[in-house]
Parts: sequence; structure tokens; C-alpha cells
Amino acid sequence: MLEREPVPWDTPGPLSGPLGVPLVDLLDRLMNTGIVVSGDLVIAIADVPLVRLSLHALLSSVNERVPAPWADGGPL
Amino acid sequence: MTGHPDAPETATATYVFAVGRRLDPAVLSGLTGLAAGFPVRGLTFGPLTAVVQHVPADEFTQEAWQERLSDRAELERCARAHHEVVTRAATCGPTVPLALATLYRGDDRARQALAEDTHRFAATLDRVEGHAEWGVKVWVPAAAPKRPETAAAPSLRGGGGAGRAYLERKRGLRQAREHHHERALRIAEDVDAALRRLATAARRLRPHTSEMTGEKNRVQVLNAAYLVTAVRERELRDAAETWRRRTGVDVEVSGPWVPYSFVGEG
Repeated sequence: MLEREPVPWDTPGPLSGPLGVPLVDLLDRLMNTGIVVSGDLVIAIADVPLVRLSLHALLSSVNERVPAPWADGGPL
Repeated sequence: MTGHPDAPETATATYVFAVGRRLDPAVLSGLTGLAAGFPVRGLTFGPLTAVVQHVPADEFTQEAWQERLSDRAELERCARAHHEVVTRAATCGPTVPLALATLYRGDDRARQALAEDTHRFAATLDRVEGHAEWGVKVWVPAAAPKRPETAAAPSLRGGGGAGRAYLERKRGLRQAREHHHERALRIAEDVDAALRRLATAARRLRPHTSEMTGEKNRVQVLNAAYLVTAVRERELRDAAETWRRRTGVDVEVSGPWVPYSFVGEG
């Protein structure tokens, strides 16, 4: 008999969570994925072209500050 | 459309959170979304329904987004607001989340653009129906386990003195570290392979570094997402527990998630 994992953001029941999830996990999902809609790339509001942001660029800038786990031999 | 040149404060854009087949408006009540004061609501297009919200256009320009998303607190607020709406909508059935910051000039434009992708949305909804995404992370201790029997082992050859013993000890430590490193990576691959067998689809995400997690004592070696049917959910958890026991590493499971990681392709 296995009890549910004691993951703090785990929510039992239907697909309604998790909401208290760590931000990094959320950004993994919101920024790397999501369906890209053909019409969303450029819109104009008051004649200012609004390009859907390249969130990938933002994520890259986040990642630049943080080396891959074992890039430098790490703590291992 | 709805924008009046002499009343710019009323100009709104339409933000799209997600698309589903049907939506019970009641599940959206009370949601703030991205702009307080504007209801989060359904917008039908063909056989599908998008979850949308009017937002003040001047607060959602490209410049505003750039500013917003480079501010950690604002980024977090937006990400959580988007996620909250998506997960709430998903209680009504299969849901395709859209990328953060998907905006249209207005409802008409949103409806038109989304309708062009009706088939793609429908196919994605079919694919994820009955599934949830589960996140799995594997962590290993940051330091190789101490192995005093190795470090303290006397040199077989004798002689050489303290210098040689020092070098051998150093080499032993390095070997222990390499062994620990290799074992960790192998466990990550094994766990992933085992969980893939239970999943309809799987994706490797980039493992989080210690700077991102703030963890000093353990290193994340696997960060993956699995698209799993409800009947396989238990098996996934059991498998995670089995690997945890067998290897002694931390195997963390999170979910159920709306299948964010599985709506982008196909």
C-alpha cells in the first residue's frame, strides 16, 4: 500500500492543480511550451505592433546566470 | 472596433488563456486573471471555447510586457494568474493552455485567429483527453558518499611515504566523485526510461540548477514531464517510490498538471 507522495504542491482529486507550485516549475511549463497560435505573433494596438514576446529569450537570460548542473565539475 | 480615439482608457485587448471544448462559466467566477476588474470568461469559436479576458491595451503593449517580465515579482504574478485560470478551466474537461502573453486586438480578432486553428486545437484536445501531466524530478546528494575504507586503505606496495599516500587519497576521492556522478546520471536515465513505459508521451525538461532551487545539499539530475492516463497515475507513483527505495535517491512527483508540456507539438 502506497500513500500519496508528500510533495507540498501535490493536489489530490481532479485536474485542478497544482497551484502552490514552485515558480521554476511553472516557468518550465509556461515558457517552454504552450500551443503557438498562428495569429498571435503580431497584433497592433493603437498602431503599435505588439509582438508576442519571445519568452524563450527571457528564459535564456535566466539560464545564462546559472551554469548547467555539472558544467564545472560541480559539487559532485 | 471598440476603441474610441478620444477615450484611450477604454481601449482593451483580448488575452487568451486556454482553449477547451466546453466551459462552465461558474468555474471562472472570482478569478482575477491578469487585469483586475475585467471578468475572465468564455469566448466561443466554432465548436470550441476559449478562456479570455479583456485587458487594458496600454498595459499590455510589447514594452509593458518586457518591463513586466523582467521584474521577477511581476513575472511571478502573471505566471500564477495565467496558471490559475488555466487550471480552473481544466476542471471542465480537456484543456489546451496557450502561451503566456497571447493577445489579440479584440474578441472578434481573437475569434477569427483561433478559428483558423480549430483543427489543431481539436486534435490536441483529443490527444490529451483523459490524461494529466506529471512532473518527476530526481535528486542526488551533492557530495559523493564518504568511503573511509577506500581513503584509509594502506598502499599495497608500501614505501613512498606520506606524499604517495596523499596522492592516492586524492585519486580515491576523485574516483569516488566520478563514480557518484556516473551513478547519478545512470539513475536519472533508468528512472526516465521506466516512467516512459507508463506514459503516453514524455518530455525531458532542463534540470534546475542549485541557483534556481536554492538547494545546497542535493543536485537535480532529472526534470521530466510525463503525459499519463488516469489509470496509469498510480503506477507512476508506485514506480517513483520503487526507484526511491531501490536507489536511495529523491524521486519527487508533482501533479496533476494541465498538460502544458504536451500541447506544443503534433
